[in-house]
Amino acid sequence: MSEPTTGRTEPGASAEPDVPEVSGTTGRTEAGASAEPDFLKVSGLHAGYGRARVLQGLDFSVARGEVCAILGPNGAGKTTTLRALSGMAGGRGSVTLDGTELLGRSPEQAARLGVAHVPEGRGTFNDLTVEENLRIGAHLRTARRWRGRAERAAVTADLERIYGHFPRLRQRSRQAAGSLSGGEQQMLAIGRALIRRPALLLLDEPSLGLAPLVTRELFEIVRAVNEEERTTVVVVEQNARLALDIAHRAHVLEAGRLVLSGPAARIREDGHIAEVYLGVPAHARKAG
Amino acid sequence: MSAVTDLLQQVVEGLGSGAVYASLALALVLIHRFTGIVNFAQGELAMLSTYVAWQLVASGMPFWLALPVTLAVSFAGGMLVERIVIRPVQGAPELTVVIVTVGLFIFVNALAGLIWSFTVKDFPRQFPDGGLDLAGVRVDWSTLGILGVVAVVMGLLYLLFQHTSSGLVMRAVACNPSSARLSGIRVGRVLMLGWGLAATVGAVSGVLVAPVLFLEPNMMGGVLIYAFAAATLGGFDSPVGAVVGGLIVGVAETLTGAYVDVIGADLKVGVPLMIILAVLLVRPQGLFGRAAVVRA
Repeated sequence: MSEPTTGRTEPGASAEPDVPEVSGTTGRTEAGASAEPDFLKVSGLHAGYGRARVLQGLDFSVARGEVCAILGPNGAGKTTTLRALSGMAGGRGSVTLDGTELLGRSPEQAARLGVAHVPEGRGTFNDLTVEENLRIGAHLRTARRWRGRAERAAVTADLERIYGHFPRLRQRSRQAAGSLSGGEQQMLAIGRALIRRPALLLLDEPSLGLAPLVTRELFEIVRAVNEEERTTVVVVEQNARLALDIAHRAHVLEAGRLVLSGPAARIREDGHIAEVYLGVPAHARKAG
Repeated sequence: MSAVTDLLQQVVEGLGSGAVYASLALALVLIHRFTGIVNFAQGELAMLSTYVAWQLVASGMPFWLALPVTLAVSFAGGMLVERIVIRPVQGAPELTVVIVTVGLFIFVNALAGLIWSFTVKDFPRQFPDGGLDLAGVRVDWSTLGILGVVAVVMGLLYLLFQHTSSGLVMRAVACNPSSARLSGIRVGRVLMLGWGLAATVGAVSGVLVAPVLFLEPNMMGGVLIYAFAAATLGGFDSPVGAVVGGLIVGVAETLTGAYVDVIGADLKVGVPLMIILAVLLVRPQGLFGRAAVVRA
């Protein structure tokens, strides 16, 4: 892998990393960023599996209501970043969501703190129907105690909300989730995450294995949800162009370090950045 | 007695013993669905539960009160086994887990022998003697009772899994534990519940079969083999399959015992083994099991 022209964060760098900041805004700007710029705050995050240290000290923040894209080639540590946020991978450093530390929590604890991770592979419950899959998403609402009719009405309203975003899931509500197409399963996975009104939605490669049209539809829905429900989103993507279209800010990850951060619109339009970091032009995806 | 009534008589007897195999097979299938583990100690846990029931009755408790107490104790015991014995080897290679359940088998067997000795004990009959006479076929109350109990257990499990939110959560965990975790489900607790549930269902089979076989630490050894045949035949993932498989195995056992002279009463233990072998060769997923049919 070639050295990027801009400097990298050195291992053990301080909280103020030497990551190039791209300034200037056009198109989608930091929505609501002013209110709580550090809603999700990642500082000095090292993470990995066993001996393999994948992340070498990440620092970034996501404002409440913002869509943040994490881009980069295969093996850069994008998925590991999400896994560290949702408790699926251990790490050092600090990750706070609305002031609460997330590192060291189990996935179920992170979920209870409002993190909804849509994993690569979508995590479909194949044997359950589409509607049952969604009810599992709503489980945290209902499971705390038997709450009777009011709670059941709330879940029904939640189902309606999700079917509103994904009309195709309504048509398939009684069908076994394992029989859905890849795109529908991805919709279901996002629906299952959204039904619990998460504080933080993590999307791992939502475009993986999907046809371009389906992917576009999916990203439009994520954008709509972000606008309507003010859900904070961190999306990891290899398809940089798509992710940059819906994101407010973007970070480029390479070999476990952030090599670039800035407003998504600016990154998208900067031909030089695109060429160096994202292996554009246009439709070409960066290969690992 | 005509040949037809004689045949029907054998079928009825077969259904009676088949219902016992069905309930132990149901316990095996529950654990397998939840954890992917084949629990070789399932029969021994059921035997231990049966001893608990015997002890309660022997110390003066009426049987129909001792039964719910036994089931509650079994439920707690099953959860405890999961927490203490199984949890530490979770995620270990399959062979490790199998060996652990075999070890548990030996341990529980010896423990029962230590506490209650290996002498045979008479277990109280739950159902009155006598029965119905249906056109020359005699149906004992005990046969009817056993079939009824297994039907009730099956019905309760169906209600639990299909019509309660806890059941839905349990099915989700069985289907995709890591995704369940990401949905905020406390998977460890659900697995404990699954083991508790299986131990309870197994206890029912032990209590049902004890008056027939007499109670001793090795009582469930044979039943376990039939239950394995039943679960294999029905499909290790399918509770309905376990029950249907159990009934088929029970009937096959009595019919071959009665009509195939070469086999007779002594060799009929070979029947479940032949069933296991045949199913694995012809239809490894069993009658109701699914060979994974999932779109990529």
